[in-house]
Amino acid sequence: MKLCDPHIHMSSRTTADYEAMAAAGIAVVIEPAFWLGQPRTHVGTFEDYFGSLLGWEPYRASQFGVRHFCTLALNPKEANDERIADGVLALLPRYLAKDGVVAVGEIGYDEQTPAEDRRFAEQLELARRFELPALVHTPHRDKKRGTERSLAVVREAGFPEERVLIDHNNEETLPLVLATGCWAGHSIYPNSKMDEPRMAALVQRYGSERIIINSAADWGISDPLKVPKTVTAMRTAGIDDTTIETIAWRNPIAFFAQSGRLTLDDAPTEHAASFEGNSVRRG
Amino acid sequence: VSDALTIFRGILGSEAAALATDSTVDAATPYDAARFEMVFASAGRRLGITPIGGHTSITDERGRSWRIDAWGRDEVGRAFLLVAAIARVPSVDHVAWIDGCYRAGALRERTALLRALPLLPEPGRFLGTALDACRASTQPVFEAIACENPYPADHFPDASFAQLAMKAVFTGVALARILGLVSRHTPELARMADDYAAERRAAGRDVPADLTLLTTP
Repeated sequence: MKLCDPHIHMSSRTTADYEAMAAAGIAVVIEPAFWLGQPRTHVGTFEDYFGSLLGWEPYRASQFGVRHFCTLALNPKEANDERIADGVLALLPRYLAKDGVVAVGEIGYDEQTPAEDRRFAEQLELARRFELPALVHTPHRDKKRGTERSLAVVREAGFPEERVLIDHNNEETLPLVLATGCWAGHSIYPNSKMDEPRMAALVQRYGSERIIINSAADWGISDPLKVPKTVTAMRTAGIDDTTIETIAWRNPIAFFAQSGRLTLDDAPTEHAASFEGNSVRRG
Repeated sequence: VSDALTIFRGILGSEAAALATDSTVDAATPYDAARFEMVFASAGRRLGITPIGGHTSITDERGRSWRIDAWGRDEVGRAFLLVAAIARVPSVDHVAWIDGCYRAGALRERTALLRALPLLPEPGRFLGTALDACRASTQPVFEAIACENPYPADHFPDASFAQLAMKAVFTGVALARILGLVSRHTPELARMADDYAAERRAAGRDVPADLTLLTTP
């Protein structure tokens, strides 16, 4: 079974991770732009970050047979930094036009401030202008309220709900999302967010429609193999393969294919590994 | 260069005129940088990335030809856009404009730009961008400037050309793909190649067969 991890920050991961992910069946990854653990202080660092998500990282992934796409945005946390927010918003149109960009994201709420309201709305408009889906992060703190507010922002903007993926759901927020037309992402984490048995239980209760799973792995305690591990957990729980494949492959591909830029075929990857002398392989 | 545009038009067929109009690089339209950037960025999904194949080659204004059959259709489209657009940009801005397109470019925008460099007016002005590309670890970017491209032999200083050749060896690129290698060979490059061969032998590793193109006879 081919798998997709539709939310993973590969820039923070090693080539050993890529090897293990490919061996576990992960064929496609989507890397949302987010923050880097400490605040950035210059707009120019976003240019280099976006450039890396569109160049170096897809190349690195291709060396292991993995297709890499990205989503770009000013993330909710840094939306609060008025020294950079305007500058990053001004950069985005040039980058959102690019071939490997399959959504605007992560946008949404962190502390649920007025600045976050403004940047969330502005970036939904960018998604509309560039005909891209939107990937919406939900906050760690005050999550249920943050999810309700996010759904309200989408509704008030008149943004098509089937083009919105609300991420990092739990037992409390999933029913709220499924009551709309938005898709529901779940980040399977070692200690926080969602875990494998709970995810299997949610699937048993709610089925597979508009349900997506990801590892959200980054530079923190996280696990890039959480998608295949959740597949195993769902099998153990007696969930049928069609349902599992819908959640771990068909749904994320269908959601991001709405960008018109998720080009998948059986052709070899764009820059497939061709020789052992390559710098990523060589180390 | 007009020959290059003709060849590109031939490859792109009816898409060429549409690209030119949409990107505002045709003479009939006032040039709009934002529209150019949009079309340049989206050329991959518009044209696809299939290599053009055949034995297609291109000729510059000095009458030299080199093969471009490994270029993707998107790269042909982007090279076409760059060669056409630079005529719409004031000369004094050319270097900054090209470097800006490179820096803001996704992987295949960068490879297309590097492949188009020898077709731009006074290409020696873009040396900084070309040298930067040689430092990339993104192998397709390095190969776009180093392989099947006359630019380095035409414009690189000796030390940079030697670094390019040694990086090709180091990353497994066949030296035959570097245009003008013989004309730019230096004793210093031979010494580097000799040392590299010795280092490989000392480590019990094989020495690339084509390294003899560089080593001291």
